[in-house]
Amino acid sequence: MSDSSRAIRRQAELADKPRASAVWLIYMREMRDQLRDRRTLFTIAVLPIMLYPLVGMLLLQIAQFTRQNPTSVCVIGTENIEGAPPLFEGEMFAPELIEQPDALELLTYRWDELSADRPVRDKANEWVKSGAFDLVVLIPPAFKNNELMGDLVGTETKSTSAEENRDSDIELLFNVGSDQSVVARQRVAGVLAAWRGEWIKERLSGVGIDAEMLLPFEWSDTDIAPERTREAAFWSKLLPFIMLVWAMTGAFYPAVDLVAGEKERGTLETLLCSPALRSEIVWGKLGAVASFSMLTALLNAGSMLLTSSLVFQHMGVGGAGAALGSPPLVPMLWLFVALVPLSCLFSALALAVAAMAQSSKEGQYYLMPLMMVTLPLVMLPMLPGTTLNIGTSLIPVSGMFLLVRALVEGQYGTALFYVPMVATVTGSCLWLAARWARRQFEDEAVLFGGGEQWELGMWVRHLWRDRQIAATPAQAYACGAIVLVTLFFARLTISEMPQDFAGIAKLVMMPQVLIVFPALIMATMLTTSVRQSLRLRMPHWTTLPLAVLFGVTLHPSYVMLSKMINHVYPVSEQAAAAMKPFAEQIASAPWAAVVLLMALVPAVCEELAFRGFIFGGLVREKGKLRAVVLTAVMFGISHGVLQQSIAASVMGVALGWITLRTGSIVPCILIHFTNNALSVSLGRIADSGWSGASVFLTQTELGPSYQPFWTLISMGIAVTCLLYFGTVSPATDESESELLGSHHDYVDPTASLASA
Amino acid sequence: MIHVQHLTKTYEDLQRGRFVAVDGISFSVQKGEIFGLLGPNGAGKTTVLRILSTVLEPTEGIATVAGYDVVRDSAEVRRHIGFVSNNTAIYDRMTAWEMVEYFGRLHGMKAARLKGRLEDLFDQLRMNDFRDVPGGKMSTGMKQKVSIARAMIHDPPVLVFDEATLGLDVLVARNLLGVIRSLREAGKCLIFSTHIMSEVERLCDRIAIMYCGKILDSGTLEELRDRHREDDFEELFFGLLSQHEQEMRVGGRIDHPSSANHGVGEQLV
Repeated sequence: MSDSSRAIRRQAELADKPRASAVWLIYMREMRDQLRDRRTLFTIAVLPIMLYPLVGMLLLQIAQFTRQNPTSVCVIGTENIEGAPPLFEGEMFAPELIEQPDALELLTYRWDELSADRPVRDKANEWVKSGAFDLVVLIPPAFKNNELMGDLVGTETKSTSAEENRDSDIELLFNVGSDQSVVARQRVAGVLAAWRGEWIKERLSGVGIDAEMLLPFEWSDTDIAPERTREAAFWSKLLPFIMLVWAMTGAFYPAVDLVAGEKERGTLETLLCSPALRSEIVWGKLGAVASFSMLTALLNAGSMLLTSSLVFQHMGVGGAGAALGSPPLVPMLWLFVALVPLSCLFSALALAVAAMAQSSKEGQYYLMPLMMVTLPLVMLPMLPGTTLNIGTSLIPVSGMFLLVRALVEGQYGTALFYVPMVATVTGSCLWLAARWARRQFEDEAVLFGGGEQWELGMWVRHLWRDRQIAATPAQAYACGAIVLVTLFFARLTISEMPQDFAGIAKLVMMPQVLIVFPALIMATMLTTSVRQSLRLRMPHWTTLPLAVLFGVTLHPSYVMLSKMINHVYPVSEQAAAAMKPFAEQIASAPWAAVVLLMALVPAVCEELAFRGFIFGGLVREKGKLRAVVLTAVMFGISHGVLQQSIAASVMGVALGWITLRTGSIVPCILIHFTNNALSVSLGRIADSGWSGASVFLTQTELGPSYQPFWTLISMGIAVTCLLYFGTVSPATDESESELLGSHHDYVDPTASLASA
Repeated sequence: MIHVQHLTKTYEDLQRGRFVAVDGISFSVQKGEIFGLLGPNGAGKTTVLRILSTVLEPTEGIATVAGYDVVRDSAEVRRHIGFVSNNTAIYDRMTAWEMVEYFGRLHGMKAARLKGRLEDLFDQLRMNDFRDVPGGKMSTGMKQKVSIARAMIHDPPVLVFDEATLGLDVLVARNLLGVIRSLREAGKCLIFSTHIMSEVERLCDRIAIMYCGKILDSGTLEELRDRHREDDFEELFFGLLSQHEQEMRVGGRIDHPSSANHGVGEQLV
């Protein structure tokens, strides 16, 4: 493209600056529109206000119901207890043995009362099964003959077999399928244990031993946490979860109505042909959706807090009376602060997703996938033992969640330390989501496409007939998904580490084959040019030696990065032990074979698939950033191990940028190869006795490592190389640029006029 | 006021692959003129008009409205054009007054001027009866009036009516044609697309007959009649269409029967 067209484009971008007044106008209209909608009002305002009190009422009633329905217990064989401390008092267990005796209904039988027609055990079984009793306690007649019954005389002659002993055991019949029954078992077991303790004490004192002597020490629990922390710990887990789930729901429904619904009703086109810019429309709608998301979350959280504190107070739940009654209000404000960016993030995502739908009904179907993606991020911080650290602070949403929890619990120091990381991650996610939403509004296919009938046969014909030079973005996504899914299942089939080099070769080759195969097949079948779709082009010759230099000088930084990652997310000892035979085999195998296997094959296969076919598809339709980021992420995930995945993703970004600048995967293959080859040969170079080695390498207990000065210098050279790559004009083909680029380029009117 | 040159628009379509909806058409419309775009459903009329209103971007060719390029100065174009289509609906939960006022404010009109303009338009289009009726409760005719008022609120020099009489009863349609005539008197530049021949005959100064993305012929009604030696306009129209199909068949360039285009194309474009 010529300079003039670039200037025109820049001018157009400048004119595209959204005006605050228009954004505000659109925002206000969307808000008013949603507030006039009964359904929206019901979901965001009426439902939360009504829902929690209703649920609270129900809970209270259930609580009353359970209190009125005590567990029923039947004890059979009361006559078989002899010479023991009293188990019963009247029609109940002795009061010193049981807490809350009201919650238990007791019925006692003598053994011979029931043993008339059929075995007692069968009858008891039936009772529990039918639910007549939650629990039946059988005290068999043999209990009387218990060796330990009465005096301690004869304790030395304890020669009875375990079998016989069982006959004299007390039996508790319960049904694990019924909660009531399980609770009854627990309570009666407690009663029996207390009873046994009494009995032991009695016997010991019978032979003149003070029972106290058997307990050398006692302990007592003291919770030093102030009351507030305990409340905070409870609420800081529950409340963010509730709020985020509602923020998501609250964002989604307005988003569907404001985009898919408007498309369906035809009002979106009206707005598009008004002087409002696309960006103004997006920002206005995004603001409205985010407002509703926050409102929903706040109303829900508020209503839940109010109701639950009342209910808890009423029920006396929470150990120390109404300790959980009211959450600490001031720290909760942090939650509201965190809600703003997260609501915006969810809203932007919902808006972008909803833009794909042609109708509200279609839009509703997209809620589930969106929830499936975001819910794990909200669930993760709920897992026990997840705390704020460098690793978790870098996870979107989860990091923010944990940061808020730290703030609520009053750990201001820790929280402050992680604020920059969480803010960066949240900020970039927000930026990406907003960008995606904006892109969706600029895409004609998204706004006006679809609506046609889909048919398998027609689709297959379309795939074949409308093959293009390179993959389409959809084909690229499909290829990435196929590669990652097959890799996942293939990894599951690996049960143990092979012990010889041939086995290891197989282990290394398998994923590479699985990575390159889908790309090759799709490139052959679905595109008209295998070479173009795999981006196998000759770049400017200078980039080739530069790629090797870049590979060599990048390696120290890559090693450093890997070390840092291992420090943040340490490899488990188990995993390290599992990898050991692998490393040993690699170290003892011939060098050339190792380089071929670990460097050349992955470099070619992975680059063909990720920077070739998939990148080639994703880079189309203004998707430069998308191509770089997504191929890097896919490349990372394909490595399977978390630590490697992160390092590979970072590497993937650099490789993606270089292939974008050079228009070819050849430099990437060279860089990838150099990097891998150095990784597997570092030990050998250090051991080779080459005098130059010590200039660059030092021996540490963890193996060879780069000299700090070389790491620094190499970093400088690598950055210089990167800068040079930035100046290269990408290698393209005439036919391709015609097909891929010009469609979206601004047309120079004067040129067309001249030719006309 | 409107210049269109070699305008082409292609879509990716599952059924037909790369489908040319508009195939290198050129025309221009002057001030104080009503230009009629006549063609069956799926001929590409809506696509052309959507490109003119900057909702779609052309694949090739250029189009300017009031001197502004639809791609480069799309914001300026939208400021100088009023677009009424049966696809441009009105909001269900806004009253007629609010709806028109909203678009006036989007055009950046000052409150005082906007108020005056609103009163004028509501009088002119006889909309005062349903000022405060929300869109969801309006009849088709009322909605169409609101759409027209919405498109005219900023007094644009160019107005585009895309199948604007579709679904209107005779009275309302007649009324609309009257409004369009009065706009011509006011020196506006108008494009009027339809598949109803009588409307074109009664209203338009110049006509272009579109079919399969191409303009088969264009000119004043008289010119067309003379050129094809056919007084009955309906016969003239069908004659042109069948002549075109025959040419395509002879040229071996017709891949799909034209009947397949109908219906599907209308949803698409």
